[in-house]
Amino acid sequence: MTDGDYDYLIKLLALGDSGVGKTTFLYRYTDNKFNPKFITTVGIDFREKRVVYTTSNPNGTTAGKTFKVHLQLWDTAGQERFRSLTTAFFRDAMGFLLMFDLTSQQSFLNVRNWMSQLQANAYCENPDIVLVGNKADLADQREVQEKQAKELADKYRIPYFETSAATGAEVDKAVITLLDLVMKRMEQCVDKPPAESANGTGATKLGDAQPNEKKCAC
Amino acid sequence: MPEVVDMLSMGFLSDSERELILEVLRRDEELRQAEEQRVRKLKTELLDVKRKGAKRGSGKYSQHSCGRCQEPLSRLSIFSSQCKMCHHHVCRNCQTVLSNGFWLCSVCAKESDLKKRTGDWFYDQRVNRFTTTPGHDLVQVSLKKKLLSNLRETTGEGLLKSAEIITDPPIPVPLPRQKTQIADKGQSSKSSGSVPSKKSLESKEGVQCDTGSAENITIQSSKAETKSGNVTPDQSRKQNRSLQSSPAGSSVSSLTVPVKAAVDSTTSEANTAPEEKLSTEQEVDRLFKKSIRRAPKPTEHVSTLDLRDACDTSKTSMGSRSYSVPGLDVKEDEEEEDDIDSLVSFHKRTLASSSSSLNSSKSTLGSLMSIYSEAGDFDSVDVSGDVVFSIIYDEHTQNLHVFIKECHGLAYADASRQLCNPYVKCYLLPDKSRQSKRKTTIKRNTINPVYKETLKYSISRSQLFTRSLLISVWHHGRLSRNAFLGETEISLDSRDLDTPCEDCVVLMGKTPSAMPASSFAQYKGELVISLKYIPPKKPTTEKTKGKKAATEEGGELHVLIKEAKNLMAMKPGGTSDSFVKGYLYPAKAKTTKKKTPVVKKNLNPHYDHTFVYKDLALEQLKEMCLELTVWDREAMLSNEFLGGVRLSSGKGAVKIGKEEVEMDSVEEESSLWEKMMQYPDSWAEGTLPLRSTMGKSKGK
Repeated sequence: MTDGDYDYLIKLLALGDSGVGKTTFLYRYTDNKFNPKFITTVGIDFREKRVVYTTSNPNGTTAGKTFKVHLQLWDTAGQERFRSLTTAFFRDAMGFLLMFDLTSQQSFLNVRNWMSQLQANAYCENPDIVLVGNKADLADQREVQEKQAKELADKYRIPYFETSAATGAEVDKAVITLLDLVMKRMEQCVDKPPAESANGTGATKLGDAQPNEKKCAC
Repeated sequence: MPEVVDMLSMGFLSDSERELILEVLRRDEELRQAEEQRVRKLKTELLDVKRKGAKRGSGKYSQHSCGRCQEPLSRLSIFSSQCKMCHHHVCRNCQTVLSNGFWLCSVCAKESDLKKRTGDWFYDQRVNRFTTTPGHDLVQVSLKKKLLSNLRETTGEGLLKSAEIITDPPIPVPLPRQKTQIADKGQSSKSSGSVPSKKSLESKEGVQCDTGSAENITIQSSKAETKSGNVTPDQSRKQNRSLQSSPAGSSVSSLTVPVKAAVDSTTSEANTAPEEKLSTEQEVDRLFKKSIRRAPKPTEHVSTLDLRDACDTSKTSMGSRSYSVPGLDVKEDEEEEDDIDSLVSFHKRTLASSSSSLNSSKSTLGSLMSIYSEAGDFDSVDVSGDVVFSIIYDEHTQNLHVFIKECHGLAYADASRQLCNPYVKCYLLPDKSRQSKRKTTIKRNTINPVYKETLKYSISRSQLFTRSLLISVWHHGRLSRNAFLGETEISLDSRDLDTPCEDCVVLMGKTPSAMPASSFAQYKGELVISLKYIPPKKPTTEKTKGKKAATEEGGELHVLIKEAKNLMAMKPGGTSDSFVKGYLYPAKAKTTKKKTPVVKKNLNPHYDHTFVYKDLALEQLKEMCLELTVWDREAMLSNEFLGGVRLSSGKGAVKIGKEEVEMDSVEEESSLWEKMMQYPDSWAEGTLPLRSTMGKSKGK
């Protein structure tokens, strides 16, 4: 798994309240299995998955290139007592799966807090985030309505998915969407539109990409 | 980012947790090393491409030749052939079209491609953020420096590096619940601290030099290379050389370090002087201290679990020895119980004292023994000696610093063997939970231990006036239980906390005043239960919760645990995952143990679960005692005690384990018990207030 035979190493991180299903979500994503047992994550953990990523071309002129992407999916403990540890790992992730439990209003209310945690600790103020409402299969216990969550996601201008680690619904899609955002962000950071860099002097360096460049995530 | 790591405390983790996390970090390291190798390869490729391109930003070249391949350019193409990145004019062959439709010269394209593939785009972004973050006071400067010099370093890496000082790589993969192993690990991690303590003093620098070696340096230089797009050929050649030499050297160096540490620790385990270990611990402690300042709440610094006391018992200075002790190889369920039991005994301790007088330390100590545990025994000691300490409040960091200097003339825990391994434990009362527990290191074979350790509590000053500090001294029993050596309680309301003044206080036996007068003093919620006794020899079958319980020769006691109300919240989000455990005494402790399933996220959980105790005569019940305790389930950790009830006739004593314990049931409890016995075959229901401790008073 850890051979260097890949084109990109992309580090994503799942966060959210304790018990929203971060671990099972990632387990479903990487191994396509579901473990209904609740085992608290101790501090941090990660899973890996190799995927093939095809660049989408906006103008569709040339066929998208395919890359091998090695995903490192960090799993964090939702418990408060590990907070100082887990937030320290935020800065090493390129994209975030902000998860809440559709059957727990409280976990949804805490999304706000997690957002500010992210803004404070991630590699930039507006990192790529996907909002994930998990446990969609438990329809009869649902406490958070899709509309509510969608509104919040729109407010943050991030995509929203209702997933179920139990059934696997939308799990892949949520991760792939995030990966796509990260890859686009990467493109944007490196291949800045020439119009912009043309203003610069000959000393323009690649690393000068502005951290605050806002990209519409829609 | 060593600074980040510094600010990060791993001190609040238990040994087993720390080991688990380190395991994760080691896996991360593996991945990182593969990644670094890949990155190196890519960067070498870039250098190759660059060498081919003749023109450099500084050089004076004709505009009429391609900046890359030196082929002459046609006049017409000049105006459209400038690379947007390096502003060289390049020929068509040296242009690479990007995905966004624009083009760059081959070198710039390669460079930007590399930015992506190596993840440098990300690290560059991150640098921007963390060097410009205001309000990082002192840290900022050094942080900036560090980030620039090694901006690829991740939290995990730094954390692992700093942890590697104190912990050796895994011997076997630790199973979370196998405490014996974990205790072992704790031990071996300590002894691996025998990588001289000097080293940990130098910590950051030391580690970087040690583990970083060629690798760090080469990565840094090649980093500098990519950042400044225009380097002189001379420079780049130099870098190239270091790059080429790096794979061998660096991978060796970074790989050997952990291995060496392992060897170190295993070989040195036996002969490491305890002092050395402890001082390393201290150092590590110091290393992580900064974090406390940042922490908003003291609860974040749950230092150690109470079960560590129990854990400690299996630690020996020759860590691997306990592997071969078969009795320590406990199965999962048992393991968990032991955790619980050690907690129970802790709660017990607290109450026991309330009934004992100052000079009855012997009987008090008796009750320290876990009644559930058939494990260790110890001799009671007559408390003696004193403790020297000072308390100061650090306004700046909002921390209460308790400096434990030393103790004099402690009692021997085992007088016959002159054995005493004392450590000091503090609680910031009234909080007696593990959140409030702080411990010093253990000094071996001394009754005059010198600690010079600071225990910290993150707490606002205003809160201090309602608190008092309980300083207790304990003997750490290797394979037996810990023994109480004395304590003292310091109230903080009248104390000058601004000037450091050393106090020498005589240790005392358990002081009654330190404890709540009654186990009901603190409201812990209620438990709703129903009891029914089914007399023997009735050929009926009882349906209880779907389970068919056929009556056998003896009578049966059915205990229906209906629900609990207003439990304490133990989990974030103000909930608890609770379950009820029942013991019927007198009986061999674990054979009568019953548990309900866990009800999650509920402070008013409905269990609706029945415990059935068979083969009981009505007469027997009069002499028996049913203990029901409510616990907050904490996977991997010790469960947290939420409260309990003790049902009995309320008279006499019952033999539990080795001791006679008074059946101190209060009125509600005993009346329900009586009612059950009075009306066989019918449910006696009651709502009982939960005790805040299950401490037992000793019978006569």
